Amino acid sequence: MTDAMIEFRDVSKRYGTLVANDHLSLRIRRGELMTLLGPSGCGKTTALRCLTGYIRPDEGRIFIDGKDVTDMPTHQRELGMVFQNFALFPHLTVQDNVGFPLMIRNLPKDQRTKMAADALRLGRLEGYESHYPRQLSGGQQQRVGLARALVYRPKVLLLDEPLSNLDAKLREEMRFEIKELVTRLGITAVYVTHDQAEALALSDRVAIMNRGRLEQVGTPEEIYEQPQSRFVAEFIGLSNFLEGRIEAVDGATMRVTVGDLKLTAPALPQTGPGQRVLLFVRPNEIELLGPDAPAGENVFEARVEKVTYLGDMMDYRLAFGQGLALRVQGDAHRRFSPGSPVRLRLPRIRCWTITSG
Amino acid sequence: MTLTRAYVRALWDGRMILGYTLLLSLTLFIVAPFLMIALRSVGKGWFYRLWLPPQLTLDWYRWAVEVGNIPEVMKNTLIIGIIATAISTVIGIFAGWAFGRRQMPGKEVAMAIILLPRMIPPITYALGVAKIFYTLELVDTYLGVALAHVSVCAPYGILVLSATFEGLDERVLEAADVCGANTIKRFFYVVLPLIMPGILASMIFTFTHSYNEFTLTLLTYGPHTVTLPVRTYLAVGDGYWEITSAMAVIMVIPSLIILAMIQRRAEPEKLVGGFKGV
Repeated sequence: MTDAMIEFRDVSKRYGTLVANDHLSLRIRRGELMTLLGPSGCGKTTALRCLTGYIRPDEGRIFIDGKDVTDMPTHQRELGMVFQNFALFPHLTVQDNVGFPLMIRNLPKDQRTKMAADALRLGRLEGYESHYPRQLSGGQQQRVGLARALVYRPKVLLLDEPLSNLDAKLREEMRFEIKELVTRLGITAVYVTHDQAEALALSDRVAIMNRGRLEQVGTPEEIYEQPQSRFVAEFIGLSNFLEGRIEAVDGATMRVTVGDLKLTAPALPQTGPGQRVLLFVRPNEIELLGPDAPAGENVFEARVEKVTYLGDMMDYRLAFGQGLALRVQGDAHRRFSPGSPVRLRLPRIRCWTITSG
Repeated sequence: MTLTRAYVRALWDGRMILGYTLLLSLTLFIVAPFLMIALRSVGKGWFYRLWLPPQLTLDWYRWAVEVGNIPEVMKNTLIIGIIATAISTVIGIFAGWAFGRRQMPGKEVAMAIILLPRMIPPITYALGVAKIFYTLELVDTYLGVALAHVSVCAPYGILVLSATFEGLDERVLEAADVCGANTIKRFFYVVLPLIMPGILASMIFTFTHSYNEFTLTLLTYGPHTVTLPVRTYLAVGDGYWEITSAMAVIMVIPSLIILAMIQRRAEPEKLVGGFKGV
């Protein structure tokens, strides 16, 4: 028995010249909630459908619970799935929708009733048993979908953008509901989404996909704080990018030249002077100081170009150095007006670098 | 039902006197011939100077049954209708599945050819059918007449069922698979219940069409396969207007029953549109 509940081993799928999955290898641990995150067309849905058996990969194998399921038909894979458009059976009541997987499995009647009741309770759907899906709100319909997926305690729960059809507020509530449920049941879950906030809030680990490939797999913290590629940094949150060159490495820190400025950043392993790097800083990590602030490490003079009020914070566009621009988000209580000179500090440990070119 | 609603709305809305008048005259225009036939079928000694028949009688119905052999003719009509409906529905299910769910080259052309018998004047088409059926000795058999009907009935079935299958949500079928249903279980527990309204609609349309079909029957019927429309037409030729009227009234009754059934049981518009909106 391995610790991986699901394994993609070198899976590829092409549609004509379009490569939907390009040698995808991914292990999803038992009891883990793994999110496949990426822009539309990145191959996350193809990966999920390879898992359900709706698509057969051109190459590679797929394992569920140590068993090679690549050639197993969908209905034998023992999965539970929640769909973006709910995909409930319109001709069945809530009770029968939730009981459907049990009915298909010919379980004895009393056991069926009990399991369905449990699932309905999980979905907080008591009292709606005899309703038809069209009589329910979107949120309720999706809870029916969730109850139907979990009713027979499948090994794996798949969620295909389950919240995209719900409005923003409900989406946030359901996020926690799903997270709580999955954790409580200890079920292995694969969650597909293009919404990075959802991915960060829900996941144990996130797999970021781009053009059929895995860009990075890691915990939400790793993905957010230590992105391994420009794509990941751009896709998750906001970021400023500065291109530079390593000047000198000094133990745990290094000097990086960006235009006519010199910055100090944590040293990048296995690099040396002359290496081109991409440095990035999150807009909310940059400190804005008054024009008279004392000089120091990574403190630069800048000028406010543009100010946008965002309610809980201010959004500034700053010009500094020779033709460099930065976006900074700061405290709404301390304001700088356009044109005013400021100083900014890029905290050293917040300057994340990756090699480039 | 829609007509009743329109009346009510027109009456309620005082400004709609013009609309009301139009509706009334239109209804009269549609209903008047039926009234005329109904009256004539029970009138005795009714000549054209009189507004209403002076005497009422059921004699013409007795004549229709005894001389016109209506029970036998009705049996023929229903049997042919049922055969035509069964064949058309089976064709409709398979063709509808293909048209509604499969991507295939030449789909539009195939659909155009299927619809052709509906578009060209039936008599031209019927001539060809008759020629072939004489050669195959299918003339004056239930199957022969029914098959001729299928050529115009099946397109209805295909159209209705294509829409039904198109309306089937792929994700719902996928959900059934993931829930553990194999193809057979999926068909009986999910697909069939979802396409049932479409199948019913298709059956009603095709049966009504076969029941009403005249031109194709005229060129393929024989002594053993006289249907109601043809029998009525022949009676007109014989000059017995009262008996013909009685036959016409008898002929209308099953149509009215079907109409009442669909109006009460389901909204026909929804049936045609498949299951999309549900």
